This record gives sequence, structure tokens and C-alpha cells, in this order.
Amino acid sequence: MTDLADLSLTEAAEAVRTGDATATELLDACLANIDAANPRVNATIWLDREGAAAAARAADAAVRARAPLGPLHGIPLAHKDMYYQAGKPCTCGSALRKDFVPDTTATVIERMSAAGAFTFGGLNMAEFAQNPTGHNAHHGDCHNPWSLPYITGGSSSGSGAGVASRFTYAALGSDTGGSIRLPASACGVTGIKPTQTRVSRAGVMPLSFSHDNVGPLARTARDCARILRVIAGHDERDPTSARVPVPDYEAALDGDLRGLRIGLPTNHFRDDADAEVLEAVERATEILAARGATVQRVALPHMDAVLAYGGIVSRVEGAAIHARWMRDAPQDYAVHLSARLYGGYAIPGAYYVESLSRRGPILKAFAAEVFSKVDVLATPTIRFRLPTLADTDIDRGPPGTEKRFMAVSDYTRPFNYLGLPAVSLPCGFDANGLPIGLQVAGRPFAEARILRAAEAYQRDTDWHRQRPPVLAAA
Amino acid sequence: MDDFLSRTEAMIAAWHGIAAPNEPARRMAADLASTIAAFEAVRDLPRFEDEPSSFEAALLDAMEQPQ
Repeated sequence: MTDLADLSLTEAAEAVRTGDATATELLDACLANIDAANPRVNATIWLDREGAAAAARAADAAVRARAPLGPLHGIPLAHKDMYYQAGKPCTCGSALRKDFVPDTTATVIERMSAAGAFTFGGLNMAEFAQNPTGHNAHHGDCHNPWSLPYITGGSSSGSGAGVASRFTYAALGSDTGGSIRLPASACGVTGIKPTQTRVSRAGVMPLSFSHDNVGPLARTARDCARILRVIAGHDERDPTSARVPVPDYEAALDGDLRGLRIGLPTNHFRDDADAEVLEAVERATEILAARGATVQRVALPHMDAVLAYGGIVSRVEGAAIHARWMRDAPQDYAVHLSARLYGGYAIPGAYYVESLSRRGPILKAFAAEVFSKVDVLATPTIRFRLPTLADTDIDRGPPGTEKRFMAVSDYTRPFNYLGLPAVSLPCGFDANGLPIGLQVAGRPFAEARILRAAEAYQRDTDWHRQRPPVLAAA
Repeated sequence: MDDFLSRTEAMIAAWHGIAAPNEPARRMAADLASTIAAFEAVRDLPRFEDEPSSFEAALLDAMEQPQ
């Protein structure tokens, strides 16, 4: 019989609904993997075993009582440790918030709870969600379950590693420059950054007001579709959240890609890429083409502006949020974080305003030109073979390490400035046995379309079903 | 010390009361010269007729239509 922790989230939810498994059994399966492998992976910061066991028993009682069940009923979940839950710790991966206990709960957590899920832990993450690698000086680096010396990607490091390691069926991450897609790619799982404004950020630690997004990491595109439908939609607590109706994303997952026009960018998303990464992406598009999609090369306009302006927005907003602590307690940050924040204070306000004021026009011009030719863009998520934690350790590495560190997110950051939805899914392994990610991006609010492409690909491949070696060694 | 970096450090100290926390911070601050160059290369290019405009409105304008 399949290990219960190997089930996808949607499979696990169905097992609970039909009585083939209980929420208590699902929780126990996750905790068994955590006990066996987390000492090496370091994907969790805190666990609430007693609270989770009680929640699981309550979920099982509801099934026995034939109560109405939500789409996530009985699913144990752990999330990046930056989602506020009243009365529970929320370290934000930092020392500065090591004792922080919020008195409010994030809207997305409330929505997942209302759908039947329960939370059993907080997952490791980059300090204040500010690195693309998984380094953490305060809670320990998160290690890639496919090969422990390698980066997990960040900043949602524990979310990627935890989902891959079967510690949790899914996890919320956050994405300001790639922080959902990078760990999804590096850990061989599926993660979606929704359209900017698609999901409420109320009760979520801020990093960059303009670029922050909330979204799920899970084993499959179908799992992401289910979670996204639960958490998306306008929220009175977050006035920036869009009032655009939320479709039934799962209903769009029919495997039919006839008429889908896929664009392979000829600029930026090939620059300095490793050949094996590009080859994996091109092979992936051939599989999509076999389901009826067409593939063409497409030049992307305004990329120099997207990169220049996007970097300014994130750096200035992050610097502003951390100004008090950078004045009063800079020693409480990891070296790489205070180093990264510092330069943001020198960027003129006029640059920031110009970068923001041009965001809308650039998006409109980009969308008009690109999406008149293609429906989605297919790119690598990370442009090179995955580096090790040591290769990208600014705190201890030689001068120049910061360039390697920042390059991890070269292919994800543009979609944050543009606000476009993008999903990352596994499409192969590199020569070191580490996962390669395929990134599929689309128009604003085209989550159904990009998830349809991702799910169709997962019908024909089994990269997303592979188990990392850390479990075999457990 | 590099003149650009020393001026940058002085400006951050004057405006924000923040000192460079470590050597990598100085290296990354020195790299702001490339940030300025990238910005200068695109400022005023391209020009758009609808500036200023709302990003949120642009998202809706460019959004996926119901399938």
C-alpha cells in the first residue's frame, strides 16, 4: 500500500472523505517522516503536535458524523513561518521576531481552516523572506532533500523541502522575487505565484508591499489549483486584493492543450543559462506540444526596464520596512540580510516613484505585444545547475559570492514587477541529481490556463512523483 | 575608499542614521553604481502616453478573458 504521506493533497482529501484514511493517520504519516528526516533537512521551526492531534480527531469525528466536508477536510498542513495565527509563534525566520506571538490570524489561514485543513507547524524560511537560497543563520540552513549540501531555494525553503520530504501535503509560501517558484524548482515540487492582488496578504509578514504574493507549494498542479481556489479572492482586510471572481481552477484541468500557444523567450530567459537546463525546458514543451499546444520563439519587450525598475521597488520597500531594526539592532540580522538591505537606503525617492509609476504602462505594453502572439511563456525557473549552500554563502564566502547568490532569482524576478502569475513544476534532474524547474507564466488572472498546462504535463510525466533520497535513508 | 561608496555611506548615515553593518554591505552598496547605470539606461525609455496610470488598472486591462 502507498505510504499515506506519499499521497498528493487531493488524493489525501479524497481518502479522508471516503473513509479510506483518517486525518489522524495522515498527520501521523507526516510526523513520522519529520521525525525520521527533519534532523537532516531542517525544514521545520516549530511543531504543535498536541494541537494538531486534537484537530485531527475533530476532523475525523466530523467525517463519522457525516457533516459537510470542505475541499481540504482533514488535511494536516505546515506553512512558512510568516503567516500569523493568533496565539501561535511566528518567527519570520528571524532572531528579531523569535518571541513574536501574533494576536490575529492571516486571512489565508482562516480560509484554509474553513475548508477543513489544520496547521501543525511553522516551516523554516529565509530570514524575513529575504534570500533565494535557504540559508538561515538563526534557525539553521534548510537542506535540499535530494542532496543535503545543495540549496533548497528560498525564501520559502522549508515549504519546498517539507513538501518534497513528505512532511506536509502542501505549504503556503510567499513570493516577492521568486520565493515560491525557486524552492519549488530546487526541491522538485509544484508552486504557483498568483497574479499580484489575487490573494489577500492580511496577516502575512510584509517584505515588499508592491511585489509580495501569497501562494501554495504542493506535489501537483491539481493540489495547487485546489488550494488557490480556497485562498484567492477579495478580502476586506486587504484593500489591495482584487475583486475579480475566482474560477474553479480544478475544473480547467482537462489535459486538453489544443490551441494553446507557448512562447519560448529569446531574450533574458536564455541569458547565461546552463545548456542542460534549457534542454530540459525544451523537452518539456515538446511534451506539451504532443497534447495540442504549439510552440514558438518570442522576443520579450521592455525587459531592461522590467529588471531595472523591479530591483529598485523591492530594495526600497524592504529597506523601509526594516529601517528601525537596521538602526537599532543591525547585529541581529544575518550578514547577508543586513548587507542586502543596506543599499536600499541610498536609492533616491524619485527613482522609486518613477519605477512604480511606469509599472502599469510597462505591463500593458508587455501584455499587448507578448500575449497577442502567445498565451503562456515557458522558461527555466532557475537558470543554472543548482549551487550548493557553500557556493552561495555570503556570510562566509569570498567577495563575489553575492553575485552568485542574487543570480538564483534572475528568471523569477521579472514576473513580480509585471505582476503576472507563474507556476514552477519539476521537469527533470541535472547532472548532480538535483531537480530542474519549468516556469510557465501567463496573463494577469490566467492562473487557470497555466495550471492547465502544468497539470497536463504532469499527466505525461512522473518527475513530480519522485521521492527524494532523504526519505530512503530515513 | 572608493569615492562613490564613501559618498553613499555618508548619505545613508545622514538620511537614515544607519551605518554599514559589514563588509558585504559595503560591496553591495558599491554595486549600486550598476543599479544607477541600469536605471539611467531605461529612464524616459520607452515613453507611454497613459502615464501616470494605475498598476491595478493595468492588471485588469491585460487580464485573461473568461474562456
